[in-house]
Amino acid sequence: MAEPICYIKLNRNVEVREQEVRLQDVGRVRCADTVVAAKVKNIRVHHFKKNEENKTGRKESRKEKFEEKRCVISVLKIIELIEEAVPGVTVESLGENDVLIEWVDVDRHKGFKQGIKIFLVAVISFFGTAFTIMAYHNDIGIADVFAQIHRIVMGEEPQGVSVLEAAYSVGLALGIILFFNHVGGRRLTKDPTPIEVEMRVYETDVNNALIETAEREGRTIDAS
Amino acid sequence: MLLSLRYLLLIICGASFGLLAAAGVFTVLVAVGLIPRFAGKTHTAKKVMLYEEMVIAGTVIGGLVSVFERYCHIGDWLLQQGLPHRLLQMAGNAFLVIFGILAGMFIGCLALAIAEMLDSVPIFARRVGFRHGLGIAISAMAAGKLVGSLFYFAVQLHEVIP
Repeated sequence: MAEPICYIKLNRNVEVREQEVRLQDVGRVRCADTVVAAKVKNIRVHHFKKNEENKTGRKESRKEKFEEKRCVISVLKIIELIEEAVPGVTVESLGENDVLIEWVDVDRHKGFKQGIKIFLVAVISFFGTAFTIMAYHNDIGIADVFAQIHRIVMGEEPQGVSVLEAAYSVGLALGIILFFNHVGGRRLTKDPTPIEVEMRVYETDVNNALIETAEREGRTIDAS
Repeated sequence: MLLSLRYLLLIICGASFGLLAAAGVFTVLVAVGLIPRFAGKTHTAKKVMLYEEMVIAGTVIGGLVSVFERYCHIGDWLLQQGLPHRLLQMAGNAFLVIFGILAGMFIGCLALAIAEMLDSVPIFARRVGFRHGLGIAISAMAAGKLVGSLFYFAVQLHEVIP
């Protein structure tokens, strides 16, 4: 019986918790032969070295720590590994050509430090944008503009809170909520918010940069 | 009748000014992609919603404070309530320091993010033929911003601009 075709679809970027990276962690595998599929899924593609394993000096180990956090593996290497494990199999790659694997510590996504960071970013966003809008208003001399418009329309000097100022404030709030598409944690429509979209764009850019840097520096784990 | 029409006109004007000012603020923030960078650097992409809420709150409150500036003299009001002057001064200074640092960090990031978005940093690095030392250049830029800002306030350059 001829060996079936094994289809693999690599992801662009994966985060793994385990030191041992299996093929099923970095992509999807499809093969008509279930035995082959199971075998292929369990192939070890990478082993992240722990810091203690290569301690040569303080500076060295720090560099090592930095480098061992992520690696880039070429699809050719994966195909090579599959061919080694299941001789004679035909491999079809449908996904990405390189996969970026990041090894995250288990406690990275929680804890006190994380809370501090979230708080810091939140207060910077709050005070920073408050400052920018105030600086903008100052820049355009909003009080004068409003007084002028008020004079033109009403024919008299504004007293107290003018309707214009109140309407402007409401409009500003409405506009920004409309654009950001949510208020108080509740989405107005089902679309992703613009910053979520931008987040993905940024992530793609970072992944591409990391993969291309690894390629240029020859650090991509490739078929021999 | 005529008066209410005039009010209506004012309301329409005000609301549309607000909406489009919001569009401007929003475009700058999203185009520069500052918040995603913050979230990416701190690995807190899950909390992007919170950051957006803070951006919304900051813009709205900052807008209110600067439009209704004459009603926002909290310090005066607290003084009238009979709080001791020294305590108020200390609290006020503490708030100003915190506000200044946070707003400064935001503006600093914004300034460099805009410079980066316009690709001035990569183009500059390429023209000069940098291999290493981009970090030094960035540090120098930061130092320049610091000195420039201090100089601006020290010699009161804002007085020169009419």
